[in-house]
Amino acid sequence: MKKILSFILGSILALNLSISVANSAAKEVRVAYFLEWPSPNLEDMQKKNFAKALGVPVKWTNFTNGGAMTDAMLAGDIDISYSQGLVPFINAVKSNAPIKLVDIAMEYGMGGTTCVTSNASGITKANATELEGKKVAVPLGTMAEYVFDESMKVVGADRGKMDIIQMDPEEGAAALVSGDVVMACLFGGNSIKAATAVGSRLLTVDEARAAGILGIDITSVTDKFMKENPGMLRTFIEVTHEANARYKAGKADLNSMAKASEMKVADMKDTLSGFKFLTPEETKQSMTSGNLDGFLKGMGTPGGSVDTSFLPL
Amino acid sequence: MLTQLVTILIIVAVVGCILYGRRLIRTEKVDAVFGNPERAKGGTHWVIVGTSAILMLWLYYSWDIAKGFYPKSANELCQVAKINESLLGLKYQFPIEEREFKSTSIIKIENKNLKKIANEINGSSDLNDQQKTILVSYINRTSELIPFLTSEELMEMETKIKIKEMTEEIKLLSLNFQKKDYPFETDAEKNERQKLIDEQGGWGITTIDSGTGTIENTIEIPTAPQTNKGLKFHAAAAELKLINDQFFKLRNHNPQFKNTIKQLKDDIKAYRKNLDDNQEIASDYAKNIVKIARRIEFASIYPPNALNEMQAAIIEFDELQNKEQAGLRLIDILLFPAGTIVASGPTCSEQGSGRWLPKPSDTFNKFILMSKPSVGYKNIPLLWIEMVDVSKMIGFILPDWIADILPGEYPVHTKDGIVKENFKSNVLKVVTGDFKLFKVPVPYGHIWDSFLRVFLGLVFGILIGVPLGLFMGLNRFAKGFFDPLIELYRPVPPLAWAPLIISVLGIDNTGKIFLLFMVSLSIMIISARAGASGTQLSKIHAAHSLGATKKQILRYVIFPNSLPEILTGIRVAVGMCWGTLVAAEFLAGTTGIGFVENVAKKYFQYEVIWITIFIMGLLGLLFDISLRKIIDKTIPWRGKG
Repeated sequence: MKKILSFILGSILALNLSISVANSAAKEVRVAYFLEWPSPNLEDMQKKNFAKALGVPVKWTNFTNGGAMTDAMLAGDIDISYSQGLVPFINAVKSNAPIKLVDIAMEYGMGGTTCVTSNASGITKANATELEGKKVAVPLGTMAEYVFDESMKVVGADRGKMDIIQMDPEEGAAALVSGDVVMACLFGGNSIKAATAVGSRLLTVDEARAAGILGIDITSVTDKFMKENPGMLRTFIEVTHEANARYKAGKADLNSMAKASEMKVADMKDTLSGFKFLTPEETKQSMTSGNLDGFLKGMGTPGGSVDTSFLPL
Repeated sequence: MLTQLVTILIIVAVVGCILYGRRLIRTEKVDAVFGNPERAKGGTHWVIVGTSAILMLWLYYSWDIAKGFYPKSANELCQVAKINESLLGLKYQFPIEEREFKSTSIIKIENKNLKKIANEINGSSDLNDQQKTILVSYINRTSELIPFLTSEELMEMETKIKIKEMTEEIKLLSLNFQKKDYPFETDAEKNERQKLIDEQGGWGITTIDSGTGTIENTIEIPTAPQTNKGLKFHAAAAELKLINDQFFKLRNHNPQFKNTIKQLKDDIKAYRKNLDDNQEIASDYAKNIVKIARRIEFASIYPPNALNEMQAAIIEFDELQNKEQAGLRLIDILLFPAGTIVASGPTCSEQGSGRWLPKPSDTFNKFILMSKPSVGYKNIPLLWIEMVDVSKMIGFILPDWIADILPGEYPVHTKDGIVKENFKSNVLKVVTGDFKLFKVPVPYGHIWDSFLRVFLGLVFGILIGVPLGLFMGLNRFAKGFFDPLIELYRPVPPLAWAPLIISVLGIDNTGKIFLLFMVSLSIMIISARAGASGTQLSKIHAAHSLGATKKQILRYVIFPNSLPEILTGIRVAVGMCWGTLVAAEFLAGTTGIGFVENVAKKYFQYEVIWITIFIMGLLGLLFDISLRKIIDKTIPWRGKG
């Protein structure tokens, strides 16, 4: 009896003390990023320039969605998430996750995230109200859900009357091909390619841009890392913006970028053509009063989750 | 209120049951020796202790006990967290929680980096000697920058004064902080604060928008200070934040340093400009050297003893605020296990076990809300009843082609635009369920859908698996023919089929039920086969000599003999089906418990996740209990032969 009691008390004590004390000295910086989602700073990742600039090793881990990035940040395994979607970030902040938005990775049109209707269904922008009562595949809680919502507003269809099925992009594309759903909203080059083989975009890239549907990917960071290593964070963002400037000047090493994002150079160029990398000034403008600000307010994000002080202005 | 009551009840129950148990051991006369199952009989009081322990763990680690007994503690801890947040930036400069000064560790790292780059340059075969000398000279000049920053004599008077000022500010804050009426709040401020307090509500989920039926996460912890103690910390945190920001902006740059680094940067820039394209490596090295120089420029490097007073002031304040916390500290340690309240900008949140383990009271509230058919989850109730016309079921069961194969044609509209029904079209109406009969209540909702999927998967598995298993146990052909097939697919984890299911069977129920059918089928075949081949030969011989036919032997000897195995197989299959169901519903779905959990995960709705886990546990238990009842009824001889 005494042994059992002491064991229980001991384990409770051990559990209570196991408050995470990881990485306070930042012996390395752990960054999350996406594959198949190219950006100029991946060249620096490939060439280990970040480690040189930050002075400590930088460990890059690839993720499949922004929600998982948040999970990893909360668990203390990731310090900086690069190109996290804005919607997963907002969901995380709404549930009081201690993370901050410090930079905009890129803004993009509907090139990379879009809704595709199947040709067999005969539904286009003109008769989009026919979507009501039918099945559509949407990866909930991602940028694609936002694009879906906005597109439905543009075409005048009622989301509430549709049968929305939670599906990741790859599965959504498969369901569209098999005819189970009449529309699939997806992101990622390969999924969109598979979907557009049997369908067409509900809104073309230009139409979406005209309607103001815009995707924003951001750089988010844990509060802890931000407080403890402000210098490193600043350098990280600076190197990223340097890379963006280099890309704009046409001096980027596309092969190295393609290798880092595991894409073919041609496919990557295609994806990159839809991206807009902002200068630090544009970023600040977007964060304080522009697109990003409007987006955050539109989604009812609690205030205080954006910090512009790390931008290299 | 309820939490307090429950907590006390649990403690009383646990203590009472343990005392009862000990008394029972003393008074009870047990003749049974160790190993006799009699010794394990009874013991309801231990059941109570076990359940209470689980509940207690939940209450404790979700910090519900803290919420029940000290509802204001979270708000106060939030204010303390604000201080910690403000102090973090200042503290990490000093060896308070770290081992060394930030300046020291930066110098160490950068010296190492410089040495590394120097070694690389010297060992590089792509650089000529002239380049090497130039680059090494840059490295030396960079490392010579550091003494400019660490020299006491060179330190600017202005910087010294600023540090002194900040130190004084911290000291003043420490002094004020000890006063009882700090932060000297005026009546107007107090009213303002009171208004904020009234607006923000209490700790935990207090406002649920049941009007629109959304299950959203709400503000966890009220941020405006509710108590005088909290106010003290709140005010001090605000002051510290200003000091922190000031210090963060302060740079120990003296004119000598500024000139030297400017000279170095310009030199390197000029040098890089003069290099042509095939000397890119030298250019890269030069660029990296500049980066290190800039890091040194931006880092807060100070002379070794320049910040001593400031460090002392910070430590003094830190000790003071720890002392001021007093009982709160104890609450934090004891009632907020495995985590604490963390401030992040203007908001506070629970970080640690309180975050992913929702409070039982919150979970219960949310469950009640979700159970309301008008709320549900994603517009579908958890479990509710819908009035469905019997005609719909008839239409579902009868195949539509019955109408097609009847002689005659479907009616065509007349000139007047009237459609006249004929016999064939009337039959079509019947087989498609397009008529009115009486309505019967039919359950629907997430729970029902999940239940139905498991049930159907199981039923199909039993219907096909049991006869096939018996056949395989009794017949050489069947055994030989089906064995390789079954044995090949049986070890494959059912989820391995999942990626194929969507492509082949689509996203509707068919695919999910098929997946569950695959799970139950192999288990049923194995158990039925084991049951059939395990029948005692003497029993078969006995029946045979009494003149039983093959059919009778199968019906009255072999089948009852394999029933225990089959029923155990069903119990196993139920468990496996539940396990697979969640994953199947993760895949693609619009309803089902697994779907609810999957979507809740995407929105970080921990309460909903736990609710689904409990529902699944309870339903699984329900399945198992009913199966045990069936087993007791159908094979009362089990374990008695």
